[in-house]
Amino acid sequence: MLRYIFQRALLAVAVAFSVSLATFFLLNIATDPAYAIAGEDAEMEVVEQIRETYGLNRPVVVRYFDWLGGVVQGDFGESYYWKKPVAELVVERAPTTIKLALSALFVTIIVAIPLGAWAALNPNSWTDRFALGVAVSAQAVPNFWLGLIMIIVFAVTFPIFPVSGDSTWQHFVLPAFVLGASSVPAVMRLTRTGLIEVMESDYIRTARSKGYRGTALLTRHAMRNALLPVVSVLAVQLGQKFGGSVITESIFAINGLGRLALESILGSDIPTVQMLIFVFAIIFVAMNLLADILNAALDPRIRIT
Amino acid sequence: MMKLATSAFALTAVLTSTAPAFADKSDDTLRVALAEEILSLDYLYTTKREYIILAQMTDATLFEVNPETAEYMPSVASGFTWIDETTLEVTLRDDVMFHDGTLLTADDVVYTYNWIVSEDSESSAKGAIERWLDTAEKTGPNTVQFNLTTVYPLVLRDMAQRVMLRKDGAYSVDGVINQDSMANSLIGAGPYMVESFEPGQELVLQRFENYFDVASPIENVVVRNLPDIGTQQAELMSGGIDWMFKVPLDLAQSLGATQMAEHLSGPDMRVGFLVLDAAGYTDPDGPLTNVMVRQAINHALNTAEMAQFLIGGSSEAIHTPCHPVQFGCTTDIAQYPYDPDQAKALLAEAGYPDGFPLELWAYRDKEVSEAIAADLTAVGIEVDLRYVKLASLNQARANREIPAYFGTWGSGGTADTAAIARVHFSDTSDRNLSGDAELTAAVLAAESTNDRAARAAHYDTALNIIADQAYWAPLFTYSANYLVSPDLNFPLSPDGLPRLDQASWN
Amino acid sequence: MSSVETPDMAEDLPRAPRQIMLDRAKKHGGFLIGATILLSLILIAIFAPLIAPMDPNAQSLSSRMLPPVWTEGGTWDHLLGTDGNGRDYLSRLIFGARISILIGLGAATIGLFIGVTLGVCAGYFGGWVDHAVSFLLTAQLALPGLLLAMALVFIIGPSVLVVICIIGVLHWTYYLVVTRAATQRIRSLDFVAAAQSAGSTPRQVIWHEIIPNLIPQIIVIFTFELGIAILAEASLSFLGVGIQPPTASWGLMIAEGKQAMFYRPWLVILPGLCLFLTVIGANLLGDGLRDITSPEGRN
Repeated sequence: MLRYIFQRALLAVAVAFSVSLATFFLLNIATDPAYAIAGEDAEMEVVEQIRETYGLNRPVVVRYFDWLGGVVQGDFGESYYWKKPVAELVVERAPTTIKLALSALFVTIIVAIPLGAWAALNPNSWTDRFALGVAVSAQAVPNFWLGLIMIIVFAVTFPIFPVSGDSTWQHFVLPAFVLGASSVPAVMRLTRTGLIEVMESDYIRTARSKGYRGTALLTRHAMRNALLPVVSVLAVQLGQKFGGSVITESIFAINGLGRLALESILGSDIPTVQMLIFVFAIIFVAMNLLADILNAALDPRIRIT
Repeated sequence: MMKLATSAFALTAVLTSTAPAFADKSDDTLRVALAEEILSLDYLYTTKREYIILAQMTDATLFEVNPETAEYMPSVASGFTWIDETTLEVTLRDDVMFHDGTLLTADDVVYTYNWIVSEDSESSAKGAIERWLDTAEKTGPNTVQFNLTTVYPLVLRDMAQRVMLRKDGAYSVDGVINQDSMANSLIGAGPYMVESFEPGQELVLQRFENYFDVASPIENVVVRNLPDIGTQQAELMSGGIDWMFKVPLDLAQSLGATQMAEHLSGPDMRVGFLVLDAAGYTDPDGPLTNVMVRQAINHALNTAEMAQFLIGGSSEAIHTPCHPVQFGCTTDIAQYPYDPDQAKALLAEAGYPDGFPLELWAYRDKEVSEAIAADLTAVGIEVDLRYVKLASLNQARANREIPAYFGTWGSGGTADTAAIARVHFSDTSDRNLSGDAELTAAVLAAESTNDRAARAAHYDTALNIIADQAYWAPLFTYSANYLVSPDLNFPLSPDGLPRLDQASWN
Repeated sequence: MSSVETPDMAEDLPRAPRQIMLDRAKKHGGFLIGATILLSLILIAIFAPLIAPMDPNAQSLSSRMLPPVWTEGGTWDHLLGTDGNGRDYLSRLIFGARISILIGLGAATIGLFIGVTLGVCAGYFGGWVDHAVSFLLTAQLALPGLLLAMALVFIIGPSVLVVICIIGVLHWTYYLVVTRAATQRIRSLDFVAAAQSAGSTPRQVIWHEIIPNLIPQIIVIFTFELGIAILAEASLSFLGVGIQPPTASWGLMIAEGKQAMFYRPWLVILPGLCLFLTVIGANLLGDGLRDITSPEGRN
């Protein structure tokens, strides 16, 4: 088991580094940050000067190893735009995105799991169809459009929530809903399928014959087994929330990592993009690893390995 | 339905906004929203337009422009004399105080100017100032002599616009050179002093009671960074801010029609234009090298409608490669009125009866870019619109990859054609796609003499060349759109520069 | 032969698999709805020039920002109003269908080739091939699509073809996962062993034995990827790195409408609804196909 974890961790780091290498080269081919730093109405002399100051006239390979060397020592460089260490920027904004990601996960859980359970208990009925309808709709709706519609309906026409910003908990309600909606279909279907399978299993029949009925049957026996795969899927979904926060944070003007990523990409702020991609990749792979571990740990049938 | 939505919207904003919704008039605090993140207070180390708005409040300069007359009046200076064409003597006032209480002397002025042109400074102002300044020397306790390297008619302008006065030794902290020393804790000599500054978030200014000139009416100014227009709008409606600028026309008109805000539209020195690759850098035998094709492009554009419907306010169609109020910008040059049929005829005569494909680059005013593309397509020119970030456009242009682009230039609010001509028509600029040596000569000649008549004559020559050869397709002047609280009295300046230090309450 | 056939006997006759699927299809509500939506969309896309009342790129600055006909200020000339450049919104929505279908089909096809190839190879050969593909999969999932899109758009230049390729190259993981698992399963079956012992090369085995059995699943994934690709294009265009103006793309129209959203919400609502309906159609079709082609019927 331990060896397995170690191997997966190594894989995680390998993935993160190859991703960072690929993106570094892509970024530097795609743009010349000197112009981005100089800004509008700046003349050629200023641009040249900036290029020298930031060492942008050195070959790409040299600059990559420079960056790598810094990373190994914990120095991710300085942002071209914000003129302060990237690590500081990330640490500043991470809590906001973490808040958002966890809220979104919360939304997914309270919507998808009860809905899936309800559907499973009444298969092929109208509630089942309704649940599947919700799943299909949530999968089909463009997340950026959903965000804008939420603003139009719940912040302008019926002013219940604020339009944008991130200062109070009310500011997080709509964004959490939008971000969480994308995970609802998968989790709901999984819950439903898992529960249906479990309900028809020998284990439950035994419980039934012992006299357990209704909700007691459900919570004490069925759910626990059905939810095993769901837990690991939730872990993966949480990992995806960080990358998926880019559009949501931009629409709701939330100052988190996602918005920072988008603005850094559009503004050619290479050091910031580098670190964010690295961080997102690590989170993603770590969550996958967590999911694997949870699977192995929680499911007694897999424990042998 | 809309009215209900609007007032309900405002109610919500009030209930959920976290900025304390003071009536700002009552605590004499002007709250201003800027979309661009303010990361440094030192104007000597930035080129972004927003920073001049702040610098105007926190800093002092030797001269100041009078927006009504476009003349440069002494400010920190009390007077000046031209000893000869390349030597300027300036006398200083003796009552100018820095925010830390010390008096400004000739030493400070000399330090500031010499610092900017020195090797170590890496100041953003260096390129502009070292073009004309050799050295500055102190010739008395309150006199400074500036030794120029060449005759340059815009010395006073650069002094007024670019050089914010710093204390002697401001950039040497404990013997070590530190270019960021003024970035966060600025010591200026302007009407407002910095009370607190959180880069990227908020800047708080307080009126400087020992300011040497006329005091500003409002005591406190809070500048908030709100990159999102929606957030700015919500804050304006709930009283969290009193002033917004660079507001999209549609939004300004819609909100201005309500009681919540007032829509102010003022003149702006910024002009819009198409630059055409007449020299053939992208295609030596291309259609743009033919003057009739360029004239056709001019005829194809309905600039009047663009000005009226897309920019609005005081925007007007122009046919000059400069703003008509700028000195030297004569309007007595060739014009190409909107005439699609004439455009098609010219294209046919030039050998392109079925038009030709054209890659048009643009970085702002998307609707205008699309309108231009549509007008050109209507006369047969197949436009491929490349709408990109400014940095990408600048880069592509430097690599001579752009056959035509939609550009704008604000001239820093300066009412002199030099502010737009040299950067677009000198032979060292990549913005010059004319390839015309005679034009370049005229433009540079206009900057090598102080004689106004001679300068005007040179610009007359240059502008006529540009118009006859249709190197550009001039479009329109811009109009600045502001949304302000009904309590605020914000005077609009003819040069388009927002002067917040002159705002007052109603 | 007696002409009397009792009803019971008729139903007991075995039906061909195709007949089974056809019968299921006719009764499957979701499948029918999905198929109808997609088919209508494809027809609209093909016949757009005939259906649209106006040229989607014809601008008229003096009639910009007109509201839909049912709102105060609307006119019958522009049923759904006009956008910021005075272009007819209904026509732009109709032509937007072209972009969505074109890009959806194109990208889903590219993803198919990449994903199925990798999946079958990984599933059939196993060993280091499988590990390599696994690594590729994880790296691909961790790489941000937006960045890749931006870089490629900048280098190659934005065009419909570039967008199709980018999206295709970013969306093959679903194909991979499913075909890999299916290949592993099929590989261990008897008829494959028989073919191998008869001397067939791996290529022949894959081509003749394995892939034909994957086709139903591939088709199902294709319909889902169609929806995903359409949404991906909309997102890219919304962020400004997809379809370029003045071409009408639903995602781009939402981006353009966002600025005026507070006072003219239809600019955002209408294109989004089109996207929503399209993708629902694709997903219902996919779900339906999966139910129809699976051995047990409805899941």
